Amino acid sequence: MAPISWHSVDLSLDECIKCNICTTHCPVSAVTDRFPGPKYVGPQAQRFREGGQPLVPDHSVDYCSGCRVCNEVCPAGVKIAELNARARAERVAHSGMPLRNRLLGRNDLLAKVGSVAPALANFALHNPVSRLLAEKVMGIAREAPLPTWSASGTFGDWLKRTQGQRLRSAQKVVYFHGCATMYYEPFIGKAAVAVLEHNGYEVIVPEQNCCGLPLLSNGEFGAARRYHQGNLDKLADLARAGLPIVGSSTSCTLTLKEEAPELLDLHDEPATALQMATYDIFEWLRERYEAGDLRTDFKPLALRLPYHAPCQQRAHRIGKPALELMALIPGVEIAESHARCCGIAGTYGYKVEKYQIAMDVGAELFHFVAEQGEGVRYTACDSETCRWQLEHGTALPSRHPIEILAAAYGVYDLQRRELIDEPRVEYRSAQTTR
Amino acid sequence: MVDLLVIGAGLAGLAAALRASELGLKVKVIAKGHGALYWSSGSIDVLGYVDSTQPAVERPWEQIADLGAEHPYRRLGAERVRRAVEWFAGQESVRSLGYAGHAGYNQLLPTPAGAWRPTYLAPAGQRAGDRADLRPLVVVGLQGMRDFYPHLIARNLQLQGQTVRAVQIPWSVVSEQRDRNTAQLAESLDDPQSQQRLAGALQLVVQPGERVGLPAILGRHAHPAVLALLGEQLGSPVFEIPTLPPNVPGIRLAAALRQQLQQRGVRVEIGMEGVGFRAQAGEIQWVESATSARPLVHRARAFLLATGGVLGGGFDSDHTGRFWETLFDLPLTVPQERQHWFRPHFLDPRGQPALHGGVAIDMHGQPVDAQGQVVYTNLWAAGCLLAGTDPVLERSMEGVALASAVAAAERIAGLAPG
Repeated sequence: MAPISWHSVDLSLDECIKCNICTTHCPVSAVTDRFPGPKYVGPQAQRFREGGQPLVPDHSVDYCSGCRVCNEVCPAGVKIAELNARARAERVAHSGMPLRNRLLGRNDLLAKVGSVAPALANFALHNPVSRLLAEKVMGIAREAPLPTWSASGTFGDWLKRTQGQRLRSAQKVVYFHGCATMYYEPFIGKAAVAVLEHNGYEVIVPEQNCCGLPLLSNGEFGAARRYHQGNLDKLADLARAGLPIVGSSTSCTLTLKEEAPELLDLHDEPATALQMATYDIFEWLRERYEAGDLRTDFKPLALRLPYHAPCQQRAHRIGKPALELMALIPGVEIAESHARCCGIAGTYGYKVEKYQIAMDVGAELFHFVAEQGEGVRYTACDSETCRWQLEHGTALPSRHPIEILAAAYGVYDLQRRELIDEPRVEYRSAQTTR
Repeated sequence: MVDLLVIGAGLAGLAAALRASELGLKVKVIAKGHGALYWSSGSIDVLGYVDSTQPAVERPWEQIADLGAEHPYRRLGAERVRRAVEWFAGQESVRSLGYAGHAGYNQLLPTPAGAWRPTYLAPAGQRAGDRADLRPLVVVGLQGMRDFYPHLIARNLQLQGQTVRAVQIPWSVVSEQRDRNTAQLAESLDDPQSQQRLAGALQLVVQPGERVGLPAILGRHAHPAVLALLGEQLGSPVFEIPTLPPNVPGIRLAAALRQQLQQRGVRVEIGMEGVGFRAQAGEIQWVESATSARPLVHRARAFLLATGGVLGGGFDSDHTGRFWETLFDLPLTVPQERQHWFRPHFLDPRGQPALHGGVAIDMHGQPVDAQGQVVYTNLWAAGCLLAGTDPVLERSMEGVALASAVAAAERIAGLAPG
């Protein structure tokens, strides 16, 4: 019989006062009967998941999207989303998982393979026939907003190419770009580097790997542990040296700080050092601003901007620093979304049986954006999968707040998504173009 | 830096933020989660019982003098309690929900157990349940709904002399989904088609001259429209009976207050648990909230603690008998020996010492120690964590919250007390 766990996540269920606030705010149970709500699947079902008990036959935990709205609203501090994530991992360890979830969990590998021949990969993935096939064979919803590979090289290619132009300074900051910036949206990384350099910081981009969040949310904890260990090996020394590690993907930074250590029960010295050194990029920029150390030479941007702080950003519990800093830009008029979730929740909305749930969850946000009227050119959101879902649900282009900031500094073209005054290099790759 | 940091987003926290902002202060609210309004009845109790073995209080203002000297009402003075409740009733957000009462008198409204509860102000949606109304009642439930049993309610009200009957209508009238809590059912009724279905189903069961009591699910956002539609189509007054949590009338009040705060530019940050603070020379410099890594620092000129009682999370306790306030570890009047927390009987009419104790305040609403000295020069406290009251037993929860919240906000803004 397994010993009773004294893990903080498990213990937190005793704090539950059954008030139902979590279920009242749960965006998933609001739209489907398949998920009865966080209170039932989390702290209540957890009573039956104690060590030595047979596996609970209830599958509904698989329908938790992991958005963490339940944690956000809980007045008692129950770690509901983590209870669910651990319960799902237990199911996976016991009964295995579909190949699809293994693949989605390893989006870093997919991204890397595709980036060898991006045009080919984009064609292979983004045509109606293969999307239909992927749905029928793999269970990946054909309408789901999958990303496209960068056709102009990876973020790493750009870094290598522009090595000589990068700012050298005594003030240094480490940048964690994450997989999406590396392979799909290198322009986010360019904007981040440009903003940091504009403020006089030398940007160090060390070797790094996927934070492991897709594995954690698909329940593959063993692989996630190896991923997190990989980042600890690569980044802990930088953290110990007192360098801030900032990330533009708010879900990656949340994973490095809290999700991985908490779910995997990894609270050793390197894990804690990395946690304490890691920042969401706007969290760190706000600290600079409050210290009087952030440049505010913003040029006006005439933008009415619906801003959605995604669930993973709100789970940092740092307020909304991107909103605070964007509000400093003359001409930018922000409409703050109070929608709970865009629905996509990482890889959740890609799955054929969950696609419609994700769209129904997102309806609240899409409606909010539509309400902002005709003059809106972009939406803004800190998380990549959420931006793709926002674009899918609203047909408006979405931008990362760091792109907005870079544009206000006059170093970034918001429409073309490229740095201004950078010599354009034709990217050549080995494969044929479309 | 803000003038006032409020910790807690229940009625006390939100009301204090509103009053302070109205008086020109820059205010921010942080809270661990959504506050206790989510499980409140949504009505505003001032004083229902001075002695729970005696009949309910009829005129609350006149009986404040009968409370103990340590009661927050006595500390703050009856006149300030009354002005706080009047100020609240005049707020745009509160007016939008049609709060009203019997000027100086309590009203008696039914509970989901079929008891009569004395309250001072009730939202428009609850008022037709008033015991003073002599027309018969019909209590209507949804088949299969958890925690709302119309026959139980009717039976208990009958035993107290009320003419009342109970009926059930099919669940599918309101929702196509099988498993919904009250807030989700209320959201279903935001849809005009569900509203029409409900009106149609009620027309089949309601008899002329009856007042119609329903679980409090009559719309989460479209509540006034649902109420108007049902009243019109049935030709009978319709009212809500509050439910077990989540309690939609309380959620509506929380939402209305938060919307008014948002319009005033006051941020309410949910998911931020106060976990530490820094004080220097008896003055609080900042409060720290937990994040995914380092604590977040909130600086302010003044701080208001409104984190609630045992249930709200303002207090914690352990098996050794320690009972403490969770953020500032303020001096408490709660017995520090475990065997003295509770009397042998759960429903002892004198209440429970652990629930009667709490943070003692002075006449300005500032926490004081056993010697009556202010603990921190820029700290105030409001709501359920206050000492000298058992708000559940007295049915005084909202009155205590409002009186202490408004007193604190006015004092911080420099208004003269009294």
